[in-house]
Amino acid sequence: MNTTNCSGVEYLPRSRRRLLVVAALVGYPVAFAALAGLKHTGLNRWLILLLFLLLLAPILAVLTVAYRYAHGRIDGRRVRLDERDLALRQQAFALSHRVLAAILIAATAITEVYLTSGYTMRFDANTFLPAMMWVVLYLPALPSLMLAWIETDQPADA
Amino acid sequence: MPEGQRQVHNRLAVLRAERGLSRRQLADKLGINFQTIGYIERGDYNPSLELALTIAEFFRLPVEAIFSLKPMTPLSQEIFGEPPRESR
Repeated sequence: MNTTNCSGVEYLPRSRRRLLVVAALVGYPVAFAALAGLKHTGLNRWLILLLFLLLLAPILAVLTVAYRYAHGRIDGRRVRLDERDLALRQQAFALSHRVLAAILIAATAITEVYLTSGYTMRFDANTFLPAMMWVVLYLPALPSLMLAWIETDQPADA
Repeated sequence: MPEGQRQVHNRLAVLRAERGLSRRQLADKLGINFQTIGYIERGDYNPSLELALTIAEFFRLPVEAIFSLKPMTPLSQEIFGEPPRESR
């Protein structure tokens, strides 16, 4: 049974994969923080959009790498999973749940602290967009990212 | 390997080499991914009882000859006892 191909992505060492996962998770809020900062600089709107997309592009690339790394092992489509794949998938989902819980708790706590500090929050399309994009991009990708995080380096065929 | 799990030692690499099989060839015969063979050999993954028995059946050996909770001694040492002392 051969369920995985031998592309370079699948042989990425774990240290590099973990670096990419951290970059994917940290890069998104950084990109939106940069966007918020750029809006106050008085730069041309199109230039701001271009800079934002330039920041977002590597994040999307990393998410694509994570999907390619998982290679259908998360959704179980197109490939037959053996017992180790199934065990890894279970671990990846469990870790995704923990990471998601941590992110939601942190986001809720930060919002609560912000609001109780006397600030107000305007809830419109602009403020909702980053949250919506995060859900669309990261919720499906999180198990693949976690799989890339937990799996040890792959042995070569000998 | 998940934390808290005991490592299962094995002789899979030796047995595979004896029979001149690559990981991919052995995996194909067992119906698993070739990476799984590598992970088992490296001690990064403990196979299920079903897979351990399937491997034992394939090699026509008792399962305890392939897998053990204690580090494996060389087969020659198990057959012939203590290794001969080096001649001075």
